[in-house]
Amino acid sequence: MFQVTINGTSHALPEGLTINQALQRIGLEVPDLCNDDRLQPYGSCRLCSVEVKDMGALATACNTQIRDGMEVLTDSPTVRGVRRTLLGLLAANYPAEAVAEFPDKEFHRYLRQYDVKAGGTRATPQPAVPFMKDASHPYINIDMSQCVTCFRCVRICEEVQGQFVWKAWNRGGETRILPVRGETLLDGGCVSCGACVDTCPSGALEDLTVLARGTPTEWTKTICSYCGTGCEVEVGTRDGAITTIRPSPGGPSNHGHTCVKGRYAFDYVYAEERVTSPMIRRDGEWQDVSWDEAIAYIAGRLGEAVARHGPDSVGILSSARGTNEENFVAQKFARVVLGTNNIDCCARVCHSPTAAAMKMTLGTGAATNSLDEIALARTIIVCGANPTEGHPVTGARIKQAALHGANLIIVDPRKIELCDYATLHLQLNAGTNVILFNAMGATIVEEGLVDEEFLRTRITEYAEYRDFIREFAPEKVEELCGVPAAKIRQAARLYATAKPSLSVHGLGMTEHIQGTEGIMALVNLALLTGNIGKPGTGINPLRGQNNVQGAPHMGCEPKLMAGYVPIEKVRTQFEAAWHGPVPTNPGLNMIEMLEASLAGKLKILWAIGYDIVMTNPNTHETRRAMEQVDLVIVQDLFLNATAREFGDVFLPASSSFEKDGTFMNGERRIQRVRGAAKPRGQARNDWEPLCDVARAMGRGKEMSYGSAEEIWNEVRSLWPEGAGISYARLDQLGGLQWPCFDENDPGTPILHVDTFTHGKTTALRRIEFVPPPELVSPEFPFILTTGRNLYQYNAATQTSRTPSNRLHATDYLQISPGDATRLGLSEGDMVRLSSKQGAAHLPAQISGNVKPGEVYTTFHNARVFLNQITTSHRDRYTKTPEYKITAVRVEKLHAPVPAALAH
Amino acid sequence: MNPTQELSQTNGTHGAHPLSDDVASFYHLRHGEYAGKACQGTACFAAQHLNPERWAEAMRNNPRVYCLGECFASPAKGQTQPRPPVRICSKHGIVLGRIAAGGARSVAAYVKQGGYAAVTKALAGTPEQVLAAVEKSGLRGRGGAGFPTGRKWRAVAQQPPGVKYVVANADEGDAGAYIDRYLMEDDPHSLIEGMILAGYAVGAAKGYIYVRTEYPLAGSVLRGALVEARSEGWLGPRVGGTNFAFDIEITVGHGSYVCGEETSLLRSIEGKRPEVMARPPYPTERGVFNRPTLLNNVETLVNVPWIVNNGGEAYAAIGCSKSRGTKALSLNSLFVRPGLYEVEFGVTVRHIVEELGGGLRDGGKLKGVLIGGPIIGIVPAHLIDTPLGFEELGAIGAGVGHGGVVAFDEHTSIPDLVQHVFSFGSYESCGKCTPCRSGSGRVEKIFDRALAGSATRADLQECRDLVVALKLASLCGHGTGLARFAESILKYYPTEIEPCFK
Repeated sequence: MFQVTINGTSHALPEGLTINQALQRIGLEVPDLCNDDRLQPYGSCRLCSVEVKDMGALATACNTQIRDGMEVLTDSPTVRGVRRTLLGLLAANYPAEAVAEFPDKEFHRYLRQYDVKAGGTRATPQPAVPFMKDASHPYINIDMSQCVTCFRCVRICEEVQGQFVWKAWNRGGETRILPVRGETLLDGGCVSCGACVDTCPSGALEDLTVLARGTPTEWTKTICSYCGTGCEVEVGTRDGAITTIRPSPGGPSNHGHTCVKGRYAFDYVYAEERVTSPMIRRDGEWQDVSWDEAIAYIAGRLGEAVARHGPDSVGILSSARGTNEENFVAQKFARVVLGTNNIDCCARVCHSPTAAAMKMTLGTGAATNSLDEIALARTIIVCGANPTEGHPVTGARIKQAALHGANLIIVDPRKIELCDYATLHLQLNAGTNVILFNAMGATIVEEGLVDEEFLRTRITEYAEYRDFIREFAPEKVEELCGVPAAKIRQAARLYATAKPSLSVHGLGMTEHIQGTEGIMALVNLALLTGNIGKPGTGINPLRGQNNVQGAPHMGCEPKLMAGYVPIEKVRTQFEAAWHGPVPTNPGLNMIEMLEASLAGKLKILWAIGYDIVMTNPNTHETRRAMEQVDLVIVQDLFLNATAREFGDVFLPASSSFEKDGTFMNGERRIQRVRGAAKPRGQARNDWEPLCDVARAMGRGKEMSYGSAEEIWNEVRSLWPEGAGISYARLDQLGGLQWPCFDENDPGTPILHVDTFTHGKTTALRRIEFVPPPELVSPEFPFILTTGRNLYQYNAATQTSRTPSNRLHATDYLQISPGDATRLGLSEGDMVRLSSKQGAAHLPAQISGNVKPGEVYTTFHNARVFLNQITTSHRDRYTKTPEYKITAVRVEKLHAPVPAALAH
Repeated sequence: MNPTQELSQTNGTHGAHPLSDDVASFYHLRHGEYAGKACQGTACFAAQHLNPERWAEAMRNNPRVYCLGECFASPAKGQTQPRPPVRICSKHGIVLGRIAAGGARSVAAYVKQGGYAAVTKALAGTPEQVLAAVEKSGLRGRGGAGFPTGRKWRAVAQQPPGVKYVVANADEGDAGAYIDRYLMEDDPHSLIEGMILAGYAVGAAKGYIYVRTEYPLAGSVLRGALVEARSEGWLGPRVGGTNFAFDIEITVGHGSYVCGEETSLLRSIEGKRPEVMARPPYPTERGVFNRPTLLNNVETLVNVPWIVNNGGEAYAAIGCSKSRGTKALSLNSLFVRPGLYEVEFGVTVRHIVEELGGGLRDGGKLKGVLIGGPIIGIVPAHLIDTPLGFEELGAIGAGVGHGGVVAFDEHTSIPDLVQHVFSFGSYESCGKCTPCRSGSGRVEKIFDRALAGSATRADLQECRDLVVALKLASLCGHGTGLARFAESILKYYPTEIEPCFK
């Protein structure tokens, strides 16, 4: 400890602090403009200058370390005088109007505090070297006449987002902050994350919504409702309406960062077409009804179906967008009220293979490590994921890790943005994941790179694996998987020796017929090299939706109960708690429900926040199945494709800004969701109508909750690994990672440290390669793969109803330049994309990012409706659809573009 | 193969750094715009009455050209490649000896004058012996700050082994100084030898020489010298036939005075925006490409071969108080005998002005001397008995600086000088810290008004406040140096300043 005298009082402070950190500890503050805890200290504004005895000049608190015996004066007349002079310089031509209109901006507060007047007005003419002014971005207003040259936008774009869009140009008094190229932010490659706006201390960069709707008067801390990163955000409201969102500085998964979706794409809440009243379709027409009528109608129909056809004639699809509490209630409703295990959620179409594979191999079907450890890894392998678009905050962290020297290996058939920062890009043929990971395994074994200690203590069946894997030597399989053997070997060496090595993966791994097996092949690599159970290692699925980890974990899985455990393992506990039986019939998953419907066995489908018609592959088949269902209940914000085409009852749902509960992010962290605004109209939380229907069906006793917290307390009473996660602790600590067994348990950032969940050791799996059934043919000569775009989200139910549409208006078909030439395609030409299943129309985008013979598109646009062409092939273990591979034909559309597609 | 070996290759590469547009916009002489242009540096300012037309031409230049290193013939224009007179006025011609003897551009000429003997001697011994000699010598940095050279070397040597760099700061931008220019042009191997010794002592295998673009001849002579030194085995994988590997690369600036500041210079080598960086970390710990870096000025390095050959004690025996050894000085054209002089520390400023320079030409009356300026305190005429020494000059608000000696006579109006220096200071500010970015330009504007007769007492008070902010809160020596200059002016020439503010 150092003794430091601050303003005459002596303090004992730990070594290694800056003066600023020391001041924070003792509750003192000095003004600063260039400082932001997310950034490296920079020392440019000089406002935090303090007097330090025996130093010639003043010291800047932001970057001066404390010394033992140091004497600091933070508010002496000299210090105040210098600060006043500096503020005077910054304010000399500054528009006074801005100070009056936005009194809470950091810079404006300092001007008041030091009694410095802004010397300019909005009418002050531009100087010879003009300031940038631009309002062309859909979300961000730029008026650099308010720039105080703190460089925070430049630095946060570089140090946090890694985009390098803002740059300081010129020098001296002519220094201007401008995009790296072009006239606008978007010209400069901006990804609209808003970090620059968030850090700007003066309002030179400002959210357009704040300018239009005013500064928020209230802030509510909650969790972003897009991807599974689980960013903690603060929602700003004014007169009960959302005006802006900012990252929460303490967010454990995002550390004060967001992406364009999390920060800006919230206006769908106020979209005109949002349905805010329950509706029943009668004679083909939707009619508003009261909640009572809707509930009575549903209860009647359900009771009838259960009585006549048995409980398994009903299926419930719950939502990975909803809270844990809502999902728990949905599965309990199915099991307790209806008496069926026909409960599933949209995890079925994404990471079910991950959960299954990791459950089998490691004992827990969830990420082994935490996002923070990306910064600790020396090697990061990204498999079948495009994090800078699908999981932008995580993507930004991976990029920073690479910029700071980590080896980055990208496994993807397509060149993604992270490839620019990567040591290696293994551009494999789509569908050959198993071959590639086996070949890496073969290299590790052959070159003696196995972690011997880990092998001895934690692994079984090594000899069998060793004999099996020889056949996958890189030189033997390079042609099949499309990656040169030397590259495979180099990747294996890096992963095995430049440790710790961490793996993240996405749906490019899971949405294959060998999805589950591909993950097991990847897990083998972590086991062989001991890259598990240690900081900076592990197998870490990037979960696609805010609560896709939580929804199945709450029991929205036909075979599993809350805690992701098989029904039979916990039947006794649940039946005791619920005072009744848990059904014994095997439940149907979503795919099986549709199959049952085709067979005439499924009479009622209740889809909560799940647009199956739009998102299921092979729409034609989905429609055929849906036609057979007698009653379709849709609970959503909007009349989605499922509701439009097949809905009978519509229940208006509340958005995640309008509800309480918890989400579980991709790193097993439970975090609190808090309502920032009242539900619009008659919209309600998803769990409420379920409980009402239960009551109407005479089962109100088991389904009676006063709050989300009550539901959660039931969850943790039944799920030992979550028992320690109370709302009180979440409010206090801001998020806990399970396992967390009691209220003194700090949670578990890293799994499998000394033992796997199912025992001390685990076996290496011998995974044979099974070729994808979709093969190119003269009729369908291209392989289509699919993915997400930064600006849109999945079915775009939300994002298409926000200004993000201006940033990504349509899906494009990416095609390699050679293939485009051969087909006579120019950029933007409309093409007809067809498969055995159907056809879609969309514009072509010529891109070197895709290999010849492969084409790629995103799947957000309801007009394109891509799933009309995807296939019915399924993962061999979990039935997850093989979205990632479809044999297609691409034809230039010579006829005029259909009006519905014009944009 | 060893996978970890492959790893370091993967991550340890640095490509070339073509300037991106935003970085390029920082510099003002990217395309050689100085060529053939008249100079508006401080020595030329002081001599403007000798050629008013040329001065007027200089003031019209856009971009501006500040100091071409020909201050002995100022006001200067273009690169005329003149040679200044050179005189050794100390017991030993440690720095300028070879130039005084006609120069040594080739290895042969250099070796003939005893060159590369120090490397041979050093390589026969340990790096520690070289370090110890430099420490004992009491040598201090000749680039302006006067930091003990041995301490800096020790700091780099003590960093864990690995990639380290030696960088020669040849960005001699202080108007009035033309020492390094002629050292590089006429005695390039002395710099190379100094760098080899530095590399050996601190454990670096790579050196950079950062030459300002305004010194094109220095750049081309050095390039030739490097080629020759390599072919003679003084650079390369086996220096002097030993296992010590060392080589040097030249980086040429693009027009920016502030790039002479160490952190700015290192970023410029990296191709980044050369803004000044807050310290710590110091370059000795994290310098160019984030590696430990020894950065010394040219003259500092040129002293080292002599120290190695003759021992640190012999060097320490020269000089006075805490300023040991000799100092090269460059006298401007206002002296009767302008040129390069090597003196021992401890001679008085009067000795320099009167004995060496022979007083001012045309019988001019000395008004003040800027030593190592202009971003430094002025020595007023009544204090010229102050000895040449870091502490001695520091005590009167001045400094040794780079060793450029610019005398002013009664032709120079002090408010004009202030306007000139702040105009230069603001033009060359990197723009990172508030006081320098905005404050230097503000002082310039106030003096514009003062010269136009429209400044008030309130303006003078604002100036005083700005000088305090510059002095106490600037990020680097550019801002604090401007403050030192202004403080010395306000202190020593109040009668010329105050009447300008009504």
